[in-house]
Amino acid sequence: MKNEITLQTRRHFLRTTVLGSALTWTVPAFLADTFTALHGEAADSATQIVTGKDATILVVLQMAGGNDGINTVVPYTSDDYHNARPKLGLTAQQVLNLNGEIGFHNALTGFKNLYDSGQLAVVQGVGYPNPNRSHFRSTEIWQTASDADKVEKYGWLGRYFDNACAGCDPTVGVDIGGQTPQSFFAQTPTGISLADPQSYRFISPGRFRPGQTDLLEESYEKLNEIPDAASDVNSGGSIGALAAGMPQSGGSSLHFIERTALDAQVSSDRIRAIVARVKNQASYPTTKLGDNLKLVAQLIAGGLPTRVYYVSQGGYDTHINQVGTQDRLLKEMGDAVNAFVGDLKAQGNLQRVLVMTFSEFGRRVAENASGGTDHGAAAPLFVIGDKVKAGLLGRYPSLAPQDLFEGDIKYNVDFRSVYAGVLESWLKTKSAPILGRQFEPLPLV
Amino acid sequence: MLKALSAGRWDYDTAAHLLNRAGFGGPPSVIQSLADLDPDAALSTLLDYERYADPTPAPVWAKPDPNGVRQMRDTARNATSDERRKLFQQEMRVQYQRLMELRGWWLNRMVKGPQPFQEKMVLFWHGHFATSFDKVRNAYYMWRQNELFRRLATGNWQELLTFAGKDPAMLIWLDQAESRRPHANENFAREVMELFSLGIGNYTEMDVTEGARALTGWSLDRLNQEFIYRPVFHDNGAKKFLGRTGNLDGDDVIAQIVAQPASARFITAKLWNYFAGQAASEELNDALAGVLRENGNNFKPFLRVMFRSEEFYDPAIVRNQVKSPVQWLVGTARMLESDLPPTLVCEGITRRLGQDLFAPPNVKGWDGGISWITTTTLLDRYNTAAILVQGAEVPRARLDAMQAMAPMDGNPPEAQGERVHVGGVNVDKILSPDERADKDRVVAALQHRLLQSALKDDQEKALRDFLNARAKLNDADIRAAIRLVMCTPEYQVT
Repeated sequence: MKNEITLQTRRHFLRTTVLGSALTWTVPAFLADTFTALHGEAADSATQIVTGKDATILVVLQMAGGNDGINTVVPYTSDDYHNARPKLGLTAQQVLNLNGEIGFHNALTGFKNLYDSGQLAVVQGVGYPNPNRSHFRSTEIWQTASDADKVEKYGWLGRYFDNACAGCDPTVGVDIGGQTPQSFFAQTPTGISLADPQSYRFISPGRFRPGQTDLLEESYEKLNEIPDAASDVNSGGSIGALAAGMPQSGGSSLHFIERTALDAQVSSDRIRAIVARVKNQASYPTTKLGDNLKLVAQLIAGGLPTRVYYVSQGGYDTHINQVGTQDRLLKEMGDAVNAFVGDLKAQGNLQRVLVMTFSEFGRRVAENASGGTDHGAAAPLFVIGDKVKAGLLGRYPSLAPQDLFEGDIKYNVDFRSVYAGVLESWLKTKSAPILGRQFEPLPLV
Repeated sequence: MLKALSAGRWDYDTAAHLLNRAGFGGPPSVIQSLADLDPDAALSTLLDYERYADPTPAPVWAKPDPNGVRQMRDTARNATSDERRKLFQQEMRVQYQRLMELRGWWLNRMVKGPQPFQEKMVLFWHGHFATSFDKVRNAYYMWRQNELFRRLATGNWQELLTFAGKDPAMLIWLDQAESRRPHANENFAREVMELFSLGIGNYTEMDVTEGARALTGWSLDRLNQEFIYRPVFHDNGAKKFLGRTGNLDGDDVIAQIVAQPASARFITAKLWNYFAGQAASEELNDALAGVLRENGNNFKPFLRVMFRSEEFYDPAIVRNQVKSPVQWLVGTARMLESDLPPTLVCEGITRRLGQDLFAPPNVKGWDGGISWITTTTLLDRYNTAAILVQGAEVPRARLDAMQAMAPMDGNPPEAQGERVHVGGVNVDKILSPDERADKDRVVAALQHRLLQSALKDDQEKALRDFLNARAKLNDADIRAAIRLVMCTPEYQVT
């Protein structure tokens, strides 16, 4: 039943929105590189955006590949550290000191800046029992908040959407850039994926003035309406079952595409109008992550009713030649997040945004012979925002050989305690129904 | 389980399903010619592809170049760091250009080649042993791996796994080339079991570290650009790997993996999923793995049983697979009997749609299924449909540079300037003059060709209304109607 209501709400929204099919855009050509900017005049007429002004927003930043947490938040005074890492070990001169024992990798000037201004918390030693060292399985565990020996089909953010946002606009979750993250998978699929806002629309080749009806576009909309009969079919359950990498048996691919088509229609005009109207108020590094966070800041300023944004940065799987690669990635991340925070502050939205990073695992304490590190277990994660309890949270796990498990540091904080803290004190919802049981919420804000 | 489909069920629809899945689909005439054969003969035209020569020549640069490598080394040795950077950039430019040519080379084999099933298998192995140019950075290595997948497309499992492990692109991709005692690099050892052959739960962490030790010595001769065994890298100590003990080496590792019952099950489940679009039930996969083992781990006889089975033609399987971007692109060209747009357009298309050939997102490859579809990629499909149907305006300067295939000096030519129209559907191939004169027949013919099934009533009405708003249908109207059929959820599945 819940699915049916959601569907009706969306159909209603589609039909009644002031930004429905009335607006069309001029398009010179079809090539990807010629998808041009919005028709300015038309964009300005797109007003009356639904706002979620007071709601808090979570931005999840995935560091894909397994970031080496030990060389990110560095125990540079530890002998155990330097013994395990004769080549990769960083000295006092190569870190940004935090407390005389621990320092940030010196590429993280952006984070040091946020740390010093009381806007960044380091949660130390985050992991889970029986750590899995597979990228894909461990990512799945983080995305679904499952125990290591259980497979969950829905993501933790998807369960949040199911529990707390039934009937919401599809833009309640927005993934920037990539594939829909598994954490968004839900009983009722929710959320949109956005790469290039300029081409986020059905492009019609004719030249039409704003307000004029385009028969081709009208036909496209009719061809992509979900027929009334389909709302009787509970497609949600079968779709969720298709999740998690390999599709499972029994689902209807068509139902999933039908819903996605509707979500695309609903969100297209509004998103492009926001991007055309809203200007960023900070200068971002010209990296993919920088571009993506820049877009998130625009969408936040434009009042999209989104509760969760998702961005991702890849490349952390540093089995060989770790030094140059990790330096570059951490710098990209720190600089992009620093610019993002500055932008939000200038907008006046910083107090309602929280950024949380994660990586599927840290890396082995000992370096390998190829100037890199292999898959490990626990690692620090970062929480950033105006209201965050800044500083070093928890304690640094011991690197002493006798304290390691299979060559890895042991976790102190279950990542689901971090999620519980985010859900309860930031997104203001009960965490147990979402995480499956009660985890001690980490006091983050 | 796996009972052969009765000859009585062999018809246009089942033939279309086979061609869509064991190939990239085709126009009605090709489907009909398959349907006119008996099912074994029809299957044989796809599976026994050795009978049809594919005359596509290899790219001219597709050979080892020790002199070039040596020259580059010497130049780099005597260069300043600034010169070295320039040299590297120039080399990357050449490699990227070759990569683009390689993408077009492969896509055109899929569209025009006489061996669509073989190319479909190559695409499977590329997604399975997912290796990316982003790290390998050498077009020759990527081509060579692609040829390996072609040569052993339906060959022996152990042979393929061994050659895939010793393949230069793989040696770079998973760092095996750099792995040496006493601190072996675990990257390949882990992924070969987790993602290529066994799956999680069928090996231990100890097998990863011990396997990595055994694999030391497998390396890359970067001058001659081929596999080399380096005894000094090899850890000669005793190892225990998947229950076997001794001074094991890389070949022992592969042999021991393939000896595990889990290894046949792992690969048959993945093949079934790729071709059927659904996960196999335990029972079905037991049967599938049994067939592979009975046939000495050779894929060809296994695939023949699979494509002939009743299970493969189950209603829950047919038209319930999301087309991959490559299937979508290649299938469209085949169904519409048109050429692909120029490679520089195709490359942009597959990237936007989420399947950048020779650059999978990670070593697990593309997840496939519904993960192909997001609000963004769906709108991109709808807009790309216009390019395929109506053609594209391409900057002439870029097109010329691409066709010349000369290494570019400096930056690629401007995207601005004169544009030329390329591609687009020849409407006369799609509709006869009689069909064209009757809008109902146009609506029916487009569904028959593009969907091999029907739209919902409301959709069909929308399409008919679109055509009825026009008096006499010109080519542009027909192309717009074709695009509209491609802009439906129905067109995204096969």
